Amino acid sequence: MAQLIVDIADMKISDNPADTLITYSLGSCLGVAVYDPVLRLGGMVHCMLPLSKVDPEKAKIRPYMFVDTGMQQMLGKLYESGMRKARAVVNVAGGSQVLDSQGVFKIGERNFTVLRKILWKNGLLMNAQEVGGNKSRTVSLEVATGRFSIKSGGKTIYYDVS
Amino acid sequence: MTYREQIAQHIDRFPKMPPLCRSLLGYLEDPDVDFKTIRDLVQYDPGLTANVLKLANSVYFGPAQEISSLQAALVRLGTRRIFELVLSLTVSGRLVTALPGYGLEGRDLLRHSIWTAVAAQELAGILQMKNVDTVFTVGLLHDLGLLLLDPFIAGKRERFTHIFESRCLSFDQAEKEVLGMDHAEAGAKILELWQLGPEIVSGVRWHHEPAEAAEFQDLIYLIHLADMLSLSEGIGTGIYGLQFNVSAEPVRALGLKKEHLEYTASKTLDKMRELENILT
Repeated sequence: MAQLIVDIADMKISDNPADTLITYSLGSCLGVAVYDPVLRLGGMVHCMLPLSKVDPEKAKIRPYMFVDTGMQQMLGKLYESGMRKARAVVNVAGGSQVLDSQGVFKIGERNFTVLRKILWKNGLLMNAQEVGGNKSRTVSLEVATGRFSIKSGGKTIYYDVS
Repeated sequence: MTYREQIAQHIDRFPKMPPLCRSLLGYLEDPDVDFKTIRDLVQYDPGLTANVLKLANSVYFGPAQEISSLQAALVRLGTRRIFELVLSLTVSGRLVTALPGYGLEGRDLLRHSIWTAVAAQELAGILQMKNVDTVFTVGLLHDLGLLLLDPFIAGKRERFTHIFESRCLSFDQAEKEVLGMDHAEAGAKILELWQLGPEIVSGVRWHHEPAEAAEFQDLIYLIHLADMLSLSEGIGTGIYGLQFNVSAEPVRALGLKKEHLEYTASKTLDKMRELENILT
C-alpha cells in the first residue's frame, strides 16, 4: 500500500486503489478529503489559512495554502476527472486552536467558516467532521474504499462511506 | 530529591556549548581581538563558512543584496551576529533528535524552532519593530529546554494525560506542576551556563509568560506570538497539541490583528523549508 503524503499547503488526488492519502499534524489547518465512491477517486488538501486575499501573491504559487483557493482548485480537478457532485463524500478535520482569550488566534474557526461557505455554495454536504478543540490531528483516506480516519492523542476513529 | 533538583543535576551533564562557539564568544568579549581573528577562526572550516553565508543571506539579506564573503558578512552584520549564526548552525544539529517523552519525531523540534525564528522575524518586520536583532537566534533556541526535560516527561506521561483529561491547563503550567520547572526555565538555565547574555536568556525564559518579563519585552512578545503561531499551524506539536495559553499582554501591546498573523504564516512556510535545508 502506497502512502501519498499531503504536505502543508498541498493537495493530492488519486484513483489508484493501492493509495492512501495522508496528512499529518493538523492544528488550526483543515484537512479536507473528497471522495467519489463510484470512480474510486479521492482528493485531499491541507489548508493553513482561510482567505487568499491576505497574500494574493503567495496564493498564485501556493493555492492550497488557503481554504478558498485550495478548495476551488481541488474541486475543479476532481470534477475534471469525472467526479459527480451528488456522489461526493466530504470529510473534514482540524481547525484546532491555542488557548486564546483575545481571539486573534482563531485561525481554525475562520478556516472552518470559509470551508462551510464554499461547500454550501457548491451544494456539497459534509459527511464526517471533527473540528475545533486544541488537539493536533492526522487524517487519511483510503482510495480503494473511501474509508476516512482521524487520529489524535493515540486514538483513531474510522468513517466508512455509507 | 525533588524533580527540580534532579533536573538541576541533569543540566550539569548537558552538553556544553560547542567548542568553536565558546572560542568565538570568548573573543567577542575581548576588546583587543580584531575582525580578522574571528574571520580566520570561522574560515578554518570551509563547510561552516559556506553555511554561515547561506544562512546570513537567507535570514538577513535576501537575493537582492546577497553577500558572498565572510569578510563582507562580518562588516555588514558585526561579530556578534556572525557568532549567533555559527551558534544556530551548530545547535540545530541537536534539534533533529526525536523526543519520545514529548511525542516529537526526528526533525519536529527543528522545524518548530525554525518556524518560530522565521515567524518572529517576519512579524517584527510587519509591525516595524526595531531593536530586536536577536529575534532569529532566540526563536531558534527557544525550546532548547525540551532536550533537557524529555526524559523526565517520558516517566510522567500518564500524569500529563490525566491532567489534560480533567483540566484545561496550559502545558507549561502542567510541566511546572509535575516537574517543578517548565521547559522555558530549563532552556534558560542551559543558555545561562553557556553565558549567552541576558537578552537571549530572557527571551527563552519568558516565552510562555511574557507578562512576567522585566526587560526585553518586545523580543519576548515576538517569540511568544511566533511560538503560538507555529503550534497553531501544527508545526512540531507533540503530546501537548495546541494546549498553550496565548498571553493577552503581547497582543495588546503590539496591537496585533489576525491579519498580521495570517500574513506572517503565509510568508513563513517557504522560508522554513529553505532554512531547514541550510541548517541540516
